[in-house]
Amino acid sequence: MPLEGIGTTPRVGVGPAHWVMATTAADVTARAGAPEEERGRLATATDAVAAALEAAAADAAATLGEEEAAIFEAQQLFLTDPTVTDAMDEAIAEGASAEAAAATAFDALIEQFEAMDGRMAERADDLRDVRRRLLGALGGATAPTLSVPDGSVLLAERLTPAETIGLEPEAVAGIATVTGGGTAHAAIIAQALEIPAVVGVGEALTTVGEGQTVVVDGVAGEVVIDPPSAEIDRRVGTQHPVIDAPVQTADGVAIHVAANVTGPADAQTAADVGADGVGLLRSEALFLEREHPPDAATQTASYAAVIDVFDGAEVIIRTLDVGGDKPVTALPVEAGPNPMLGPRGIRLSRQPHRAAFRTQLEAIVTAAATADAGRVGCMFPMVSTVEELAWATEQVDAAVAAVRERGDAARRPAIGTMIETPAAVFIAEELAARCDFLSLGTNDLTQYVMAADREAGELGALVDARHPAVLRAIAMVAAAGEAAGTPVHICGQLAGDPEMVPVLVGLGITDLSVAPVSVPAVKAAVQAVDATAARTLAEAVVAATDREAVIDLLEAA
Amino acid sequence: MITRTVEVVPAAGIHARPAAACVRAANAHDARVQIGRADEEPVPADSIVAVTGLDVRQGETVELHASGAEAAAVVDAIEAVLTEPVEE
Repeated sequence: MPLEGIGTTPRVGVGPAHWVMATTAADVTARAGAPEEERGRLATATDAVAAALEAAAADAAATLGEEEAAIFEAQQLFLTDPTVTDAMDEAIAEGASAEAAAATAFDALIEQFEAMDGRMAERADDLRDVRRRLLGALGGATAPTLSVPDGSVLLAERLTPAETIGLEPEAVAGIATVTGGGTAHAAIIAQALEIPAVVGVGEALTTVGEGQTVVVDGVAGEVVIDPPSAEIDRRVGTQHPVIDAPVQTADGVAIHVAANVTGPADAQTAADVGADGVGLLRSEALFLEREHPPDAATQTASYAAVIDVFDGAEVIIRTLDVGGDKPVTALPVEAGPNPMLGPRGIRLSRQPHRAAFRTQLEAIVTAAATADAGRVGCMFPMVSTVEELAWATEQVDAAVAAVRERGDAARRPAIGTMIETPAAVFIAEELAARCDFLSLGTNDLTQYVMAADREAGELGALVDARHPAVLRAIAMVAAAGEAAGTPVHICGQLAGDPEMVPVLVGLGITDLSVAPVSVPAVKAAVQAVDATAARTLAEAVVAATDREAVIDLLEAA
Repeated sequence: MITRTVEVVPAAGIHARPAAACVRAANAHDARVQIGRADEEPVPADSIVAVTGLDVRQGETVELHASGAEAAAVVDAIEAVLTEPVEE
């Protein structure tokens, strides 16, 4: 079983595990000299660290970029922060050594930052860096460096930016850490150095023994311990080169290949592997592990961060899709005897979670008004009637009006309907006439068309979207979209299967949204498609008798 | 004493680069300047720890209070930082 974390550098590396232990603590119990003497030592050490940080910033600016340089510039501010210097000065006046004063002042701050939420906690690593540099300078040491055996995978509780920037990219096969988030500074530097990295794996990582073979799969966000060689080959060998530009078929049909993401961290991964935008932002991720729904400002910041990553490209946000197999503590649901056929998606947004839905829409229309935002879409899950779409669209308009009434900027997003229920397939033309785009959610569509629970393993063959019944449903929706002049997107797993790409293109679908890990392979598949041949193949698979015949046709193509 | 109310525009709120830019602006002027929400005790704007600790998000409103020779200039400079939509 792979260990799951957050992939921060979308590359795959393999090598023997090497644990990095916490660096030995400086001697903070040394006897203090007179306060004047300790103050002098502290001032000298502070100057040395300031100079080292300035050099690190200049070095990062020259070799990595402005964003990485800013990390060290911010660390300089921590070093000379009055909160810190006052605390150290006071401790020295009371008879502490410079070492003890520095350690105590920074430890108090680190604790304070870690007690706060995610983005503050991540700054604690910067404080650790400054603390260690300062204690090192007091003991006459130079910048921290890690010694890593060539070609090994570096495992650690956490890494600080200084430790990371000191790594030789050619010598390190990968990095995996117990703690840390996708926006931690060390993760950003590892990404700039192009070292495969997975952070935030959790305590499970500590089960990896020194020297065990480890695969760090920064694309899938997984760490695999002692994998069979076939799995190593699969993970390392299937790395398609990133195509960081829009793609078209061999005969010139432009196909938009976007990514399915949950928030800013994997949006960045998606952008790094060449996604043209976001075709599905699973907004409910922001609601997990919370007692209450996040407020509008928190949601706006998260959506705006994803929009910012894609800098002018299209970002489509799916409104809350809870219920069914996705329970969320912050939004409780009376599941009933048959949750998948009960209240979920847009049904819950009407009742009982109307207020949460309204807050979300206000956050979406506010984020859509951010400077530099490209096209922003808002799509509704589990629609089965025209009336549900009409109601949801009214709510979007009301949200725009409410935000503007408060004097804030708002922009109406493009409105989309997810096609997941058989009902939506049959009324696709009516839905298409009333919105800006349709988006096929093939995972749910397959389970509802086949009446087979996708979680029920023994029904495997029945929940395969490569069944003529599902493919005919997709073909009907594609035709309805074409008749209404409304684009049809596809954001289910089916779109991430390179073998299916010619079929989908042949059916006239021009917008695919896939897991970030699949983006390079799907883009490569698009470039190999001949649209005319693809139409013939699509007609054949749609007319096939059963799943086996579909698979045979795909293999022969 | 100069007081000014500013709505925070950067997507990150007063965090990361906007926070650092605010502290640099405070350090670069001969003035004593404090920042905070209207209903809370303001903190020194020259402390990255204090400013970041406010955890101000995009769209929130903060008050700047400055005194000293360059009070007007420092308030202008910090306002410019906090109303600049694109970071750097």
